[in-house]
Amino acid sequence: MKTTRRHVLLGSASALLAASSLGGAALGFTLDPAKDEASKALLARVVRVAFPHKNFPDAAYLRTAGVILTAAEGTPGQKLAFAATLHDLDQAGFADMDEAAALDHLKSIEDTPFFVLTRSTTVVTLYDDPEVWAVLGYEGPSFDKGGYINRGFNDLDWLPEPRIEEYEAAQ
Amino acid sequence: MNQIAKDEAAVVIIGSGAGGGTLAYELTAAGIPCVLLEAGAFIKNEDYHNNEWEAFRQMAWLDARTTSGSWRVAKDFPGLPAWIVKAVGGSTTHWSGATPRFKDYEFKAKSTYGDVAGATLLDWPITLDDLAPYYDRAEIAMGSTHRHGRPALPANNNYKVFANGAERVGYKQYATGPYATNAEPYDGRPASIQDGFNFQGDKNKSKWSTLVREIPRALETGLLDLRPDSHVVRITHGADGKADAVLYVDKDGNLHRQAAKVVCVAGNSIETPRLLLLSESNRFPTGLANGADHVGRHYMRHMTGSVYAQFDKPVHMFRGETMAGIIADEAANNPERGFVGGYYMETLSLGPSFLAAFIEPGAWGPEFAAMMDAYANTAGMWIVGEDMPQATNRVTLSDSVKDQWGLAAPNVHFDDHANDVAMRNYAYEKAQKLYEAVGAVSSHRTPPYPSTHNLGTCRMSEKPEDGVVDKWGRAHEVSNLFVSDGSVMTTGAAANPTLTIVALAIRQAEYLAGELKAGNL
Ligand SMILES: Cc1cc2nc3c(=O)[nH]c(=O)nc-3n(C[C@H](O)[C@H](O)[C@H](O)COP(=O)(O)OP(=O)(O)OC[C@H]3O[C@@H](n4cnc5c(N)ncnc54)[C@H](O)[C@@H]3O)c2cc1C
Repeated sequence: MKTTRRHVLLGSASALLAASSLGGAALGFTLDPAKDEASKALLARVVRVAFPHKNFPDAAYLRTAGVILTAAEGTPGQKLAFAATLHDLDQAGFADMDEAAALDHLKSIEDTPFFVLTRSTTVVTLYDDPEVWAVLGYEGPSFDKGGYINRGFNDLDWLPEPRIEEYEAAQ
Repeated sequence: MNQIAKDEAAVVIIGSGAGGGTLAYELTAAGIPCVLLEAGAFIKNEDYHNNEWEAFRQMAWLDARTTSGSWRVAKDFPGLPAWIVKAVGGSTTHWSGATPRFKDYEFKAKSTYGDVAGATLLDWPITLDDLAPYYDRAEIAMGSTHRHGRPALPANNNYKVFANGAERVGYKQYATGPYATNAEPYDGRPASIQDGFNFQGDKNKSKWSTLVREIPRALETGLLDLRPDSHVVRITHGADGKADAVLYVDKDGNLHRQAAKVVCVAGNSIETPRLLLLSESNRFPTGLANGADHVGRHYMRHMTGSVYAQFDKPVHMFRGETMAGIIADEAANNPERGFVGGYYMETLSLGPSFLAAFIEPGAWGPEFAAMMDAYANTAGMWIVGEDMPQATNRVTLSDSVKDQWGLAAPNVHFDDHANDVAMRNYAYEKAQKLYEAVGAVSSHRTPPYPSTHNLGTCRMSEKPEDGVVDKWGRAHEVSNLFVSDGSVMTTGAAANPTLTIVALAIRQAEYLAGELKAGNL
């Protein structure tokens, strides 16, 4: 689908109606969202709705939002488009939507440059965050700790010990 | 280090990975001085990062490339058709180390499979018997486990799931190797400490690469002139049509000329044909050695895919070797399965940051998050099989995109062949069944990653009209031009290619040394 600015506006129109009843916008049009905490918090909510992990700390989502905002600082045109979508989200009352409505809202803007940048930056940032690793049970850099040779590389105990030799050799 | 004068017509090798690094060592060990030109930097094991994206950004080839065709990679990673390393040691620094041999019938793909519509199958001009002694030498050099007295790697967690699943579905040919990673100290390098970072470069030096073995040894001979940060952009020729020099760009963008009596190209199967195409001239208007129009064609990348399975108990697949498990039961030609050729299953582990990017590119939302939440309870495998060569799957020069030096970027065009698709679907099914047999609660079919195996773009052929090089890797059209990497593969076989690339390079070095000493070159 070809995404236009018009499409972004249309996509958020229904949510806009919903939002107005909740009291609506909190942010003005921020030209420099990377320097603005409220924009970052709004974007962090976008990331949490798109990548919902109950056990991930808010701080990790905020760090990812910060990286996305920096990534959005391309040309003035790109920066403006990103800021405009954030503004739309704010106007639509995204911050106050429940999970399901927020998810539906994101689906309606899934093909916009804003969302594509948010998604593609998140997958390589949120899951590269040591606090997130700890929640997922990933232990990160290991060479300096001597690898896993004495730290559980073979501690799986719910299956029998398998053969490691080749079949012919084991005959 | 040896310094060879730029105006001295030297043996020049381009690229220091599996093919070029091996060739440099074998030739210098035979007393032949060589210039080794490597586009990437000289990055040492201690410089590697135990972090997936940092390591990738540090070493992957990220110069401009484009894609086209119906393959999924063109949609998911349009600027990254392949994962290849740009550094001294080439992709052997990031490889995971699986070293199965090609099988007898795979050297005779055309005779064995017959005519497959749309496929440009051809028999190799050599047989398994020709290569067998060099396979032995390559396995000994690389320290392949389960071979020549090298012990097996121990079972890690991911392997335990994989092997038990294999047993339960009735597979027999499973084992923790062969892998070119030391299970015990060997060849002056230590045993694996199972740190889980193979794709990031092994800081411990237990995994074979030309960076830890061939290059230091070639330097020790005193005959190697290794020039990192030297990106070759053209091979020139004299009035006799023979290669006479290579032109390269250093990291500051300055052009240099190295005179050559022999040129061996080993830039991996995208850059090798690109360089030949860039070297067009009045005499070779469609590219050097391209009179028969095969340079860049028949590009193969292996039929690949992955399956990640989630369990209700912990697996911790990331602990230990990234790959250390292989199933060979499906690596046979049984056309009754609905496709020709075979495939292997191999354990594979990714950290969360790579898994998030690759498990289902483009996906997001609660289902995606649930797969990531199951990370600690996830086991993974890769499927890798023979894909069909097709003339239209090819590397060409982009007419719009240029690299950082202003030279036409390579475009990689690929369409899956119906045989590739049939094999992939069959293999996905088998992999999911295997995991179900050990209690998987769910599993996911992950599409192919950017190509790590790149083959066939300067294929070997008996007849000059069928390919680019002869059975020694010598260009049919240019008698002192050799191709020394996986580009020469006539067909791709099911096995991971590097052992074969190394075996071919050892064999080529022996031939070259003989010819040079006899004064024939
Ligand atoms: C993550 C990963 C895992 C892998 N796992 C396995 C495995 O388990 N088993 C297996 O068999 N294979 C594996 N491979 C594939 C293996 O790495 C390659 O098959 C092998 O390294 C190819 O050897 P090569 O000599 O053709 O190219 P490379 O090893 O890629 O070396 C090519 C070199 O040439 C240089 N170069 C390119 N163009 C130029 C130029 N114009 N001028 C100067 N230098 C140039 C490049 O910078 C590079 O250093 C893996 C690869 C990756 C990335």
